[in-house]
Amino acid sequence: MIEAVNTRARGLRPHRVEHVGLAAAVRRLDWLLLGAVGGLLGFGLWAIGGITAHDIPGNTDYFFTRQVVYAVIGCIGLVTALFVDPDYYRRFRQPIFIGTAGVMVLVLLAGTVSRHSKRWLDIGFFRFQPSEFGKLLFVLFLAGFLADRARRIGETRTVVEAIALGSVPILLVFVQPDVGTAMVYAAALAAVLFVSGVRWVHMAVLGAATVALALMVLWILPAAGVHVLKPYQEQRLTHFTHPDRDPAGATYNVRQSINAVGAGGVRGRGEQGATQTNLNFLPEHATDFAFASLAEQRGFVGVSVLLLLYLLVVWRGLKVIAIARDAFSAIAAGGIVFAFLFQVFVNVGMNIGIAPVTGIPLPFVSVGGSALIANLVAIGVLQAIHVRGAARPKAYR
Amino acid sequence: MASTRPTRTGSNRFLPPDPRVESPYRFTPQLALRIAIMGAVALAVFGALFFRLWALQVLSGPQYLQAALDNQLRSVRIEAPRGQILDRNGNELVTNIPGTAVVLYPADLPKTYAAWLDELQRLSKVMRVPLTPMLRDIRRRGNDPITPVVVKETVKKTARINYLLEHSEDFPGVHVTDTYIRGYPHGSIGAQVLGYVNEISAEQLKQLQRKGYAAGDKIGEAGVEASYDAYLRGRAGLAQLRVDSMGRPRSQLLEKRRPAPGDSIKLTLDLGLQRAAEDALNYGINKARLNGEWAARGGAIVALNPNDGSILAMASNPTYEPKLYTGHVSAQRLRNAGLAPSTAEAANFPSLNRAISGVYPAGSTFKPVTALAALETRVITPSSILPCTGSYTVYKEDGSGQVAQVFYNWDKFASSQMNLPTAIAASCDTFFYQLGYSFYKEPPSAGHPLQAWAAKFGIGRRTGVDLGPESAGLLPTPEWRQRTFTRKTDPGNWQIDRLWKPGDSIQLTIGQKDLLVTPLQMARFYALIANNGRLVRPHIVEDVQQGGNNRGSQARIIHRFTAPPAQPVGLDPTYLAAVQDGLVMATHEGYGTSTGVFGSFPVTIAGKTGTAEKLVPGIPTDKTDQSWWCGYGPAGTGERPSLVVCALIENGGHGGDAAAPAALKVFESYFHKHVGATGPVYSD
Repeated sequence: MIEAVNTRARGLRPHRVEHVGLAAAVRRLDWLLLGAVGGLLGFGLWAIGGITAHDIPGNTDYFFTRQVVYAVIGCIGLVTALFVDPDYYRRFRQPIFIGTAGVMVLVLLAGTVSRHSKRWLDIGFFRFQPSEFGKLLFVLFLAGFLADRARRIGETRTVVEAIALGSVPILLVFVQPDVGTAMVYAAALAAVLFVSGVRWVHMAVLGAATVALALMVLWILPAAGVHVLKPYQEQRLTHFTHPDRDPAGATYNVRQSINAVGAGGVRGRGEQGATQTNLNFLPEHATDFAFASLAEQRGFVGVSVLLLLYLLVVWRGLKVIAIARDAFSAIAAGGIVFAFLFQVFVNVGMNIGIAPVTGIPLPFVSVGGSALIANLVAIGVLQAIHVRGAARPKAYR
Repeated sequence: MASTRPTRTGSNRFLPPDPRVESPYRFTPQLALRIAIMGAVALAVFGALFFRLWALQVLSGPQYLQAALDNQLRSVRIEAPRGQILDRNGNELVTNIPGTAVVLYPADLPKTYAAWLDELQRLSKVMRVPLTPMLRDIRRRGNDPITPVVVKETVKKTARINYLLEHSEDFPGVHVTDTYIRGYPHGSIGAQVLGYVNEISAEQLKQLQRKGYAAGDKIGEAGVEASYDAYLRGRAGLAQLRVDSMGRPRSQLLEKRRPAPGDSIKLTLDLGLQRAAEDALNYGINKARLNGEWAARGGAIVALNPNDGSILAMASNPTYEPKLYTGHVSAQRLRNAGLAPSTAEAANFPSLNRAISGVYPAGSTFKPVTALAALETRVITPSSILPCTGSYTVYKEDGSGQVAQVFYNWDKFASSQMNLPTAIAASCDTFFYQLGYSFYKEPPSAGHPLQAWAAKFGIGRRTGVDLGPESAGLLPTPEWRQRTFTRKTDPGNWQIDRLWKPGDSIQLTIGQKDLLVTPLQMARFYALIANNGRLVRPHIVEDVQQGGNNRGSQARIIHRFTAPPAQPVGLDPTYLAAVQDGLVMATHEGYGTSTGVFGSFPVTIAGKTGTAEKLVPGIPTDKTDQSWWCGYGPAGTGERPSLVVCALIENGGHGGDAAAPAALKVFESYFHKHVGATGPVYSD
């Protein structure tokens, strides 16, 4: 067999795992990203401390303390992820996929039901929500799948296969039911396809198919009497456009949420004065509607700080895509960043009445251990990619 | 996983790429473009969020802040204490008792049906209030979830209410508030006159909303409570209460506007005389029953001051306890008391104020009307002598001499000549039949003098008393017959019935056939006789007072109701004197119809009995005589009468047997004098 020529070209080196020492890691960390995440973490803990101060009578720090514990666990996860070469995820994507799907099936079989939905696995001291960790794992195995097919990314078959593979966890989450998280998965799927270089025409077809599917599920099929979604889910997804239609029912949350946000004004009403939160007019104010509660307590100033921190994370995330060492890292980073952006938009959007109401937590703010830990680990993966990436985007040579 | 298929991309290479090595990764312009697009999306997303937040928090912040404040503030109406109702001497007839109300805000009840029902069931058990009326009240609120439903009102803060207060967390939407409960220290005394108070109904609210009435208000439903509600009700205060999203109070009531207590109403009624009248009415009914008039089971007594028309007593029987309308009104207890439409008839309409709303034929008490009209029309003179016979025959008008109809005297063996006063005293029907025939023969150009005078005396007219609802009664005229009996209303006999016949005039002279009057109308007419020919406007309210209460502070009269001065109707005094003489003779001469009752009373009483035949469905006609007595005193020479009494016993038989003894009881109470023994009565 003839030796392949030009084997010394950079790109033809076989994959190899880069072991990054502590000193190198510290040197090459994206400190701006880390600072933004640190800011978010601190801001989020401070915010949740105020939001939940009146929730448990006699124990103002109940949620705050728990959230701090999760943050510490999450930070350990972040540091751990930093020292794991991302290529391991690509290599072990099959076990990752099977494991993720398996746990999700387990949730459906043995999960804890809360508010009509099976999302949690009870493991003693902690209620564990696999779908939150699944977001990261989903991105990682799809990125691995697409990176290995980088040459055939333009083929329809590759796209269809990727979508088929991605549909398994999406459906498993959808039937929990957790429409919001399923939407995040779908957004992540779209992002990894986009970053991996799927042809524009395929992206266009996918976009059209998504719109058609949404119309079918929300409009045409219900009109024909077939309800894919439960009525309350349909109402939440569609009624945000008419918040006054059903003030006591489907749009109660949105109305109270908008009211809370608006009442916050520029400076906020403070911890004590936030009546919408403290008198429980605002439902789920520690989780899904934490943003509205924050907006009420801290005002436009407070939420602006939060949104700017989010924007900073997204910006640094996009930079991580650009300097990624290889296709897998770039695709994974793209999926992580876009899923993050999507969550921020949908959660904040539903809090201010411009997005449908779905149960998506606000990253780094909403009470919930699984989401907080998973988000921190995802940032760890981004940092791991950054640490191993080029100092600046590698131009085509 | 990696493909071994050769690829045509990368055609600048000699060999197919080695599957074992990764294709070179490069940061392509393609990827750069896509990252740029993602960046643009991110900027657009954050731009949209910022834009919306700016609009909500900076531009519309104040509105939303107000909405958030309104969200947690519940406006609560503070009930104003209702004014008291006093008798003419300042005795409390209706008072206010401070109480405690358990109310329910339907909007704050649990949202799921199971929890909603569970809470109501627990509340029903704790408060011992049946569930069904509670559900009905909540349903009636329907589209108004803000106005509370009153579950129960009690005078005392019971252990049950304390339990509610202690477990308020388990009863979202349930509040305990202060209220006032109407108190009736004298029980059923004056029930129909005083009326009662009830929660305003949806229909009333629709009409009265503009006058400041609100859902959940109490409103006077009858009698003085209704006609003077505007004074009595006062003005509700306003308070605010901070509540959480479950409607649980989180603050004390913050008073925004103090309630203005209602004004007190002082009546012309005299508590002692009112009680005497009600006792007298019972006495009269029982007496009638002892006489065998088993159908006697109701009646009315009116006592008037003949000079100014102020009502001193107004009794109606059967009666009821207005207390039934206080606290939590129980439909079952109302039914048992005959106050529900389904049971009212069986209980003979206890809520009906017969003195102003009951209409009856006047019978012989009407004869003074006829007498005055006949004198004024010059049909007779005071000294004209007419025969009093056992019967009076009307012949056909065609001159054939055939008998058209025979009218009998109540005393079929009468046979004497008498003048008008004697005819009144003896209540001779045939005497008046002759007058009736004369009236019938009056030319049409004369109008209808009998009816014209009767109308001037207030017969068949509302008196304008400040109580409601008042009946007008009926004063029949030829025109009325024409109007009333038409092909449509009386298909069989309308052509005959519409004609005014001699019998109509003849029967009217003794207050029979179509004539219908209220006891108050008759009392007013006898007041006219007593005060020498002036028509008074009966009234029951003397003045409106502010501030006066049993804590000893001085009441301030803010409005005094002066009745319009009594209007002279233009009677000749000599004619009136003849009738007055007849009425005194009726109670003192041997042939007087109530001499046996009033003859030995120390004060001279003048008055007339009446026995009016009325068709009452279900009772044989010999048991449906309405027993009347109307008169006044003191009526001695030179005395100025100060009290008119008109008594009516439904189906009570002869006037002298039931009504006259009842009226005597009222005079006894008024003059504080008693009759030693009553003699035998021979009357119509």
